[in-house]
Amino acid sequence: MPSRRSVLAGLAAAPLVPALARAAEPIKVGLIIPLSGGAGRQGQDVTHAVQGMAALINEGGGVLGRPVEILVRDDESTPAIGVAKANELAAAGVAVVLEGWNSPVTLAMQSVLARAGILDITMISKADAILASASNPLAIRLNSANVQDAAIIARYLGSKTKTARIVFVTENDAYGNGAQQGIEAEFKKANLDYTIAQTLKFPFPQTDFRVEVTSIRDAKPDYVISINANEGAGLPAFLQQYAQGQVGAPVICTVGTVGPSVIETTGKAANGLHSADIYFPQTEPFASNPENKRFVAQMQKQFKTEPDKFMALGAASLQVWAKAVEKAGSLDRKAVAGAIRGQEIPGTIFGTVRFEPNGQMQHRHFVFTVKDGKIVVES
Amino acid sequence: MTHPLARLVLAALLAAAGFLLPVLLGGSTLVYDTLVAIAIFAAMSYGLDVILSDLGEISLVHTAFFATGAYAAAILTVTYGFGAWTALAGAVLAALALALVLGAITLRTREFAFSLVTYAAAVVCMNVASNWDFLGGSDGIVGIPPLDLSVGPVELTAGRSPEFWPFAYALLLVTLYVVHRFRRSRLGQAALMVHMNPRLATMCGLDGNRIRLQVFLLSAVISAAAGWLYAFQRAYVGTDLFDTYFLVLMLTGVILAGRRILLGPLLGTALLLFQKSFASLGAYGDKLVLGVVLVAVLCLCPRGLASLWPRRRSAPAATGTATGEIGAASTRHA
Repeated sequence: MPSRRSVLAGLAAAPLVPALARAAEPIKVGLIIPLSGGAGRQGQDVTHAVQGMAALINEGGGVLGRPVEILVRDDESTPAIGVAKANELAAAGVAVVLEGWNSPVTLAMQSVLARAGILDITMISKADAILASASNPLAIRLNSANVQDAAIIARYLGSKTKTARIVFVTENDAYGNGAQQGIEAEFKKANLDYTIAQTLKFPFPQTDFRVEVTSIRDAKPDYVISINANEGAGLPAFLQQYAQGQVGAPVICTVGTVGPSVIETTGKAANGLHSADIYFPQTEPFASNPENKRFVAQMQKQFKTEPDKFMALGAASLQVWAKAVEKAGSLDRKAVAGAIRGQEIPGTIFGTVRFEPNGQMQHRHFVFTVKDGKIVVES
Repeated sequence: MTHPLARLVLAALLAAAGFLLPVLLGGSTLVYDTLVAIAIFAAMSYGLDVILSDLGEISLVHTAFFATGAYAAAILTVTYGFGAWTALAGAVLAALALALVLGAITLRTREFAFSLVTYAAAVVCMNVASNWDFLGGSDGIVGIPPLDLSVGPVELTAGRSPEFWPFAYALLLVTLYVVHRFRRSRLGQAALMVHMNPRLATMCGLDGNRIRLQVFLLSAVISAAAGWLYAFQRAYVGTDLFDTYFLVLMLTGVILAGRRILLGPLLGTALLLFQKSFASLGAYGDKLVLGVVLVAVLCLCPRGLASLWPRRRSAPAATGTATGEIGAASTRHA
């Protein structure tokens, strides 16, 4: 039985589907993302973005002449539930599953989907193991990899100072630990003489950071690097408590963790923080990209919102898959994966994108600072 | 129905009907997925049930035994390339070793202190798993192969849920049999006496600490065996196995139907997972339902939903134990 969300998405998209596509049987596309808990708000935004892109694809005649129907499931940021939902979607006969906010959930789901013969595209989860798993040799990921993100953080810090005391506040899971290892490796590679004054690890759901803030103050760092993917609750809470603690050292958030929703939730405490990201809808080269303009307009029209990076990644995942299916002329998992991995795909929200042979999409990063509640892109 | 042969026939018929349940429910993949999950998580819950019902203690460390079984399966198959049978033996041995250490520490305490100490032990285990590369660290271990229990020419393999069902169901049946036999064994009776009347147990020459440790070891093996099969079904193990999700599932599964009822954890787990699969109200709605049901059960029928069922028999005849209360409790599952 289709979920209430998928029915609503289908109804929303129905008037836009040309007669031919409407007559054909829809291609079911699974979407597994947290819709509740700390990442629930962002997950709902990504869901809207995927539904918006589905409407655009259906408006253009669908995929292989068939409309796309999105089946949405909530993984509750819990691997066991993610596995259950992956099985549920496999049973529903989906052609592809777009998934992934938390790395452990993605790692748990990808083997199950591979065994079921369903193509699995990771939208956001960042752990390195996602692309290295033998159980999913056709892995594809759109979000930037930890190693790409680490390089931009090291380059930014290196441009500011060659010696510094650094405190890491790191989410203790596959994503967080991998990100910190990557950044430290980049420091060494760039010959930056940094002292890691302290590493404070915390579990993903944590929202009370007062003890950590006190420890940071005692460590007297020059920079604090926050690795926190709990954008819905944990990161805003940390930033607010850090500002209240009046530590003073600038905070650098890892790539892609600071979106407009984080800044809005954090309020004034977000001012002054630095980060980098891969997508800004109103900044070049995206602002003049016709595919991006069409997507931004669709999001305004359908959901009255401006997309952030996560939403763009979600929508681009569907767009890349749709273009690969058209190129392969088939829904076959291997054929579609072959049309993405190691290939160049033009005409996406991100412009012409290139995937590495291991399935990782390449990106250009933009460093920014938050000023007066706005993202100001520096480079 | 008191004749042993008649009971055996009835049990065999129920077991056969249970095996056909997925087909009777339509045979969809979702039905198989749900029933496999119920079988594995019910088996996991029986480990805790033995402690809760027979020792009267609330253990919060059983997620660690479940995880131990899963991690042992993952390490032995992925890192060392062993087969599933060796992984099962490894899971049992690893759980026994961990239970021996944890039992020696925690079983000196009682009631609230026991729960607190077992919770602390679970947190320590989770942190060890998160930070020890041998256990995969925070990444966990990926790439667990499909289950292969083939013996000689007999091929016994499973990759997807419909193929897993016979194995999950067999694990459940074995678990039920073990728990049933345990409660009728001298160890089971002794455990109940140690729980219900420790002074009498001492007067009877029973070593309470030793009996509690033996029951703890048994319970650890039961939960670990479930973890072993879960690792093959999910093909990935990670530190989420220590999450409260599994602990809440175990505790609720045991408490919902009522303690010391042979089918209790199975029915409790089945209720929870069926609701989640077939009548889900979304994550928040499901949690609300779970909370309301738990509060209602604990407040209105603290002995579980089964206590609402009219009992046909009063306390049975003596079971060889010293008190009528022990006798009544020890035969309710029969």
